[in-house]
Amino acid sequence: MGLKKLFKPFKLISVARHSGVVTVLYPYQKPLITAEFRGKISIDASKCMGCGACANTCPPNALILSRRDNTIILNYFIGRCIFCGRCAEVCPVGAITVTHEFELASMSTRDLNESLVHQVEKCSGCGGGLGATRRMLQYVILHSPTAENYVHLCPNCRKKRFINALVMKMGARTENVES
Amino acid sequence: MMSADKLVKIVTEKLSGLADEIRYVESAGIIVRVKPVNLREAAHIVHDDIDAYFRTMMAVDERPLNNTFAAYYVFGRDQEGVNIIIETHADPLTPVLPTIADIVPAADWYELEAWDLLGIRFKDRKLHRFVLPDDWPEGLYPLRKDVEYTARPSPRITYKPPLQGPRLPVGPYHPALHEPEYFELFVEGERVVDVEYNGFHVHRGIEKLAESLRFTYQKVPFLAERICGICGFVHSVAYTLSVENAAKIEVPERAQYIRSIVLEVERLHSHLLWLGVACHLLGYDAGFMHSWRIREKVMVLAELLTGSRKTYGINLVGGVRKDINTYKITAINNTLAWLRSEFTKLADLVTSVPQIVRRARGTGILPRDEARKLSVVGPVARASGLDRDVRRDYPYCAYKDVSFKVPVYTEGDNLARVLVRVDEIFEAMNIIEQLLDQLPGGPIMAEEIEVPEGLIGVGNVEAPRGEDIHVIITGRGRPYRWRVRAPTYQNIPALRIMLHDAPLADAPLTIASIDPCFSCTDRIVVIDLKTGRREKLKAPSIPGGCGCKIWV
Repeated sequence: MGLKKLFKPFKLISVARHSGVVTVLYPYQKPLITAEFRGKISIDASKCMGCGACANTCPPNALILSRRDNTIILNYFIGRCIFCGRCAEVCPVGAITVTHEFELASMSTRDLNESLVHQVEKCSGCGGGLGATRRMLQYVILHSPTAENYVHLCPNCRKKRFINALVMKMGARTENVES
Repeated sequence: MMSADKLVKIVTEKLSGLADEIRYVESAGIIVRVKPVNLREAAHIVHDDIDAYFRTMMAVDERPLNNTFAAYYVFGRDQEGVNIIIETHADPLTPVLPTIADIVPAADWYELEAWDLLGIRFKDRKLHRFVLPDDWPEGLYPLRKDVEYTARPSPRITYKPPLQGPRLPVGPYHPALHEPEYFELFVEGERVVDVEYNGFHVHRGIEKLAESLRFTYQKVPFLAERICGICGFVHSVAYTLSVENAAKIEVPERAQYIRSIVLEVERLHSHLLWLGVACHLLGYDAGFMHSWRIREKVMVLAELLTGSRKTYGINLVGGVRKDINTYKITAINNTLAWLRSEFTKLADLVTSVPQIVRRARGTGILPRDEARKLSVVGPVARASGLDRDVRRDYPYCAYKDVSFKVPVYTEGDNLARVLVRVDEIFEAMNIIEQLLDQLPGGPIMAEEIEVPEGLIGVGNVEAPRGEDIHVIITGRGRPYRWRVRAPTYQNIPALRIMLHDAPLADAPLTIASIDPCFSCTDRIVVIDLKTGRREKLKAPSIPGGCGCKIWV
């Protein structure tokens, strides 16, 4: 019994023989990732409508939506990304997909930034900038067809039109309202 | 709940003379509101007469709510699984509270932290810089509501007197755990006579960040997960539990099962990691290699279940984001079968190697009564004869539906702590199998998630390192106050007793035997102590937690 106990540690030899080499020559052989792995996201520019749902939910603020003049810019900075894939979950048009890509090291931060620039629609009333892109308006019309009547107007023009319509209904003359 | 009613009766009987108000809140426990003058006596009765463990203390700046500073001392009765929370309010201008650190030794750190971060002064005790760096300006208390998260004060450079007497610095990096910690071992020859811990080098201000405007309830789980690089999922579960408890959100059964399964997978890989590190520390590198070889399969399994090897990111308030299908169940069963046969061999081997057994037996002893006084948690408590386990005592997620053994050893030495963890690995495998057998169907996300303001909630999880407890006060859109207490926070003070009068050579193993997780314990701003330079969070200065960023 005592002898058996003494030689127990040598069982390691059989364990080691049995398991063999388990490491992989990584850069040369394929990395061991499963089908469920979450890597960097890819944004489909042909689908994205610039609504910013992804930027609102992004926990580390890797996705930022900003407005400059007549453009809406969606910026994706991989350096901040935690690869949680929340953006892909909340995107209303399915423009974001989670890829398996994870070898993202780069010498320049420029390679880690991706920007998507959307043109802002113009108000059909006064010609000023709307707060939405064309795709956003199309999306709204698709989901509530009655919106087509007012969606191309800016809030100011909408207000004017509503008051006009209201006053007209009450029987007043339009000139009074305009002044 | 029967037991809660009984406890309410006991508490009312014993404390009615002292308390202003006693109420039972299901989401948190029995809340006893006392005046500061009665705090000491109330704490004495709860800790010694009612025999409740000290769990955590949350200090809150409640000036915007009721013009006071509040402190919530959370005690827990393991037998009933109910918390007793002593609530007290201090003056808004000069907040002073009596100390309870002499009655409840475990409360020592909490008072220092409350002083540092909120400026609550504790009478009749020595207060000193604890969490904040030495050059942090006086009189600026970062967790107060009038301090913005973006505030970046300029540092105050002071002269630090040189050390006196024979001391041996161990750190700032642990020889094996690659984490910023700093122990000063006071030695006489080869024997350690006292220990001083200088920590919080990686305090990242996570609690403050979660209260800032950048965050919402659904974003915090991802932040919570980053408190620790090894047992991150326990933090996100503890956070979501605390919010769900406070707001009474019904989480679907299936989501609770998935959470429990992932929690146990995390325990498997954490314990295997620790076992490897312990072998490495004792010079048995073969054990280290094989422990990690086995662990790799668990990591791959975790990736298959959640999408990521670590920081799983599947948790949200109200449920989980990833379902388990039949393909994954087969994968789990296959991995567990393989793991069981491999780990049985390894455990048998490791516990028979003389250099491990002889170095671990009888070293780093933590006696039972000292462990009780410090309210230590997890494998450290269980190795010292304290039979406590949050999974059984304060059931959460799906643990009420499974049966498992809680391994308890009475020796209190390093070997006992090794054996507790070895047993727990087997138990974790049993738990996963039981959970898979009874996995219910249905949705994985609650339908309606609404969190009202001003509620208090407690969420606790048995992390691989012990009890992890989060206390939350809900606010508008985000937590008003979120208090994290990681297991290591409770266990580090016990090192002083474990290391006392021990040979110096045993110190690294003893320190590692509590499986310390310094990033968990540390949570404000990063300041370079030497230059006083303030830095943003950068990879080299912030290890992901448990120093294992390099390894994960």
